[in-house]
Amino acid sequence: MMPGFVLFLISSLTLATVYALVALALNFEAGVDGLWDLGVVSFFAAGAYAYAILTVGPPDQMQVYRLGFGLPLWIGVIGAAGAGTLVAYLIGRASLHLKHVYYLITTFAFAEVIREVLTNERWLTNGTAGMYRMAQPFKSSFETNLYPLVLLLVMVAILVVVFIALNRVTKRPFGRALNALRENEDLAATAGMAPYRYHLRSAMIAGAVAGIAGACYVWFNTVIVPQQFTSSITFVAWTVIVVGGLGNNRGAVLGAFLLILTEDVLRLFDLSSTVAVRVASARVAVIGLILMAVLRWRPRGVLPEKRPRFSRSEALVPAEAPAQGLQQVGSGE
Amino acid sequence: MLETREVSKHFGGVKAVNGVSLMVEEYAIVGLIGPNGAGKTTLFSVISGALSLTSGRVSFEGADISGHRPWEIAEKGVVRTFQTPRGFPRMSVLENMLVFASERTTGFWKNLLAGGRLSAEERRNISRADEILSSVGLLDRRNVLVEELSAGELKLLEFARPLMAKPKMLLLDEPAAGVNPALLEHVVTYITQLRNNGLTFFIVDHNLGFIMDICDHLYVMADGELICSGAPDAVACDPNVIESYIGTKTETTV
Repeated sequence: MMPGFVLFLISSLTLATVYALVALALNFEAGVDGLWDLGVVSFFAAGAYAYAILTVGPPDQMQVYRLGFGLPLWIGVIGAAGAGTLVAYLIGRASLHLKHVYYLITTFAFAEVIREVLTNERWLTNGTAGMYRMAQPFKSSFETNLYPLVLLLVMVAILVVVFIALNRVTKRPFGRALNALRENEDLAATAGMAPYRYHLRSAMIAGAVAGIAGACYVWFNTVIVPQQFTSSITFVAWTVIVVGGLGNNRGAVLGAFLLILTEDVLRLFDLSSTVAVRVASARVAVIGLILMAVLRWRPRGVLPEKRPRFSRSEALVPAEAPAQGLQQVGSGE
Repeated sequence: MLETREVSKHFGGVKAVNGVSLMVEEYAIVGLIGPNGAGKTTLFSVISGALSLTSGRVSFEGADISGHRPWEIAEKGVVRTFQTPRGFPRMSVLENMLVFASERTTGFWKNLLAGGRLSAEERRNISRADEILSSVGLLDRRNVLVEELSAGELKLLEFARPLMAKPKMLLLDEPAAGVNPALLEHVVTYITQLRNNGLTFFIVDHNLGFIMDICDHLYVMADGELICSGAPDAVACDPNVIESYIGTKTETTV
């Protein structure tokens, strides 16, 4: 049996992993690309509910939802990614042809709409009573008291895979194109890039990643209720990437662990109920203080975005290239 | 190569560009001058697709490009520069070049699944970028952020960047503005050299010395309309041009 402190730490780390995934998603669209999303929680919620509906069993007598496919959990995760992508596509399609501020407004509004839908469409979500007994990965293969650690490892593995994938794309021409659009959209268009197409893709990628994070969140909680998906998730994710370093994938992960662990440390102390209430509200203040401190002393985050340095091409390309290059300078096709 | 026919752009009642017809021949350096507010930049924006046109027609290599979007026109080989160069400020000089590379694989899945640190394509682009950067003297600055460049360096990058796209035609919006005389000489040689390599130029500028020097043919705009065109020397003596720049005799005596 693991001691309470260790269990607590594992639980905090698991939650931090979920936030790291959301932060990576947000960082991709808002940091690598320049789309300010104030409703990343809607991708997250869509993913979580898609996972829940696909994997949960049929309802019991107390529940009113009609669907509950009881499908294998990996299908649930794919469905979660798909649902997040779909929501991003719908929002993006409606708003990305316009100026970016409209994306911000639409995402913000959509986040409220989706929570209302989740609350009121009880046939689908069981309303505020929520759904429970959620399928967790490898649950039956391990002892109950060891399982939190297993779940943490599974989620860390997902985080590592997502991180590698996003970081790879960020550093390659696709990510560079998004950076360029973020920096100067008019100029990027004269390079032959259709801004809408790139923005829609970055939003959909963010949607997929946040959707997967939603499935992880369901594993972590084992129940799902609409109240879990308030806008505070969006704002924590924003704080995380601003503290970590906007545009830097490592920063997003580091920021998530930094913030969530700091926040949770305040829960560690055994307190009387009256003090506990005060400490709980102090947690928000602590996050705010961290944000202010970072903005004051490290305005580009703990790990600022770094540009890649390329070594001179002479070292990279064999001798024939420079001569060829000379002819190519400015030559029309 | 590039032709505008009766092109107009009106903003409400303001006729920023009004019935302008002009032509840019292949391998030519054609200039467009006129006092402030004549509609030169607006015309550029219409040609490059940044602004829609109110009426008229723009064609490039015989094909109608009026109303096409900026990236479509860029893909056809017409690349414009901007009056105030800003570049992609928080990206390195080399990255600024790479964004414009004519051959680039920017598909998400292709980028995700390709192995290796640098693709062969990327290496080719880097070597081409280095080649162009060294020709404008920016090779040593290749890993510097663009926001850290001096105004002169930024101007040079503004020339170098579009070349990565292997354009057929460059629309330069005030390339001589804010450029010191020594650098300007360099710019003139550079543009001439590029033209000899097969590029066509359409240039807007206020620096008459520069534009007379470099252009084969000039167009003059005032109040949204074309008032004169011809060889630089002829245009300079045209009474209409003199009037629009320094006013008429009667006006000056009043």
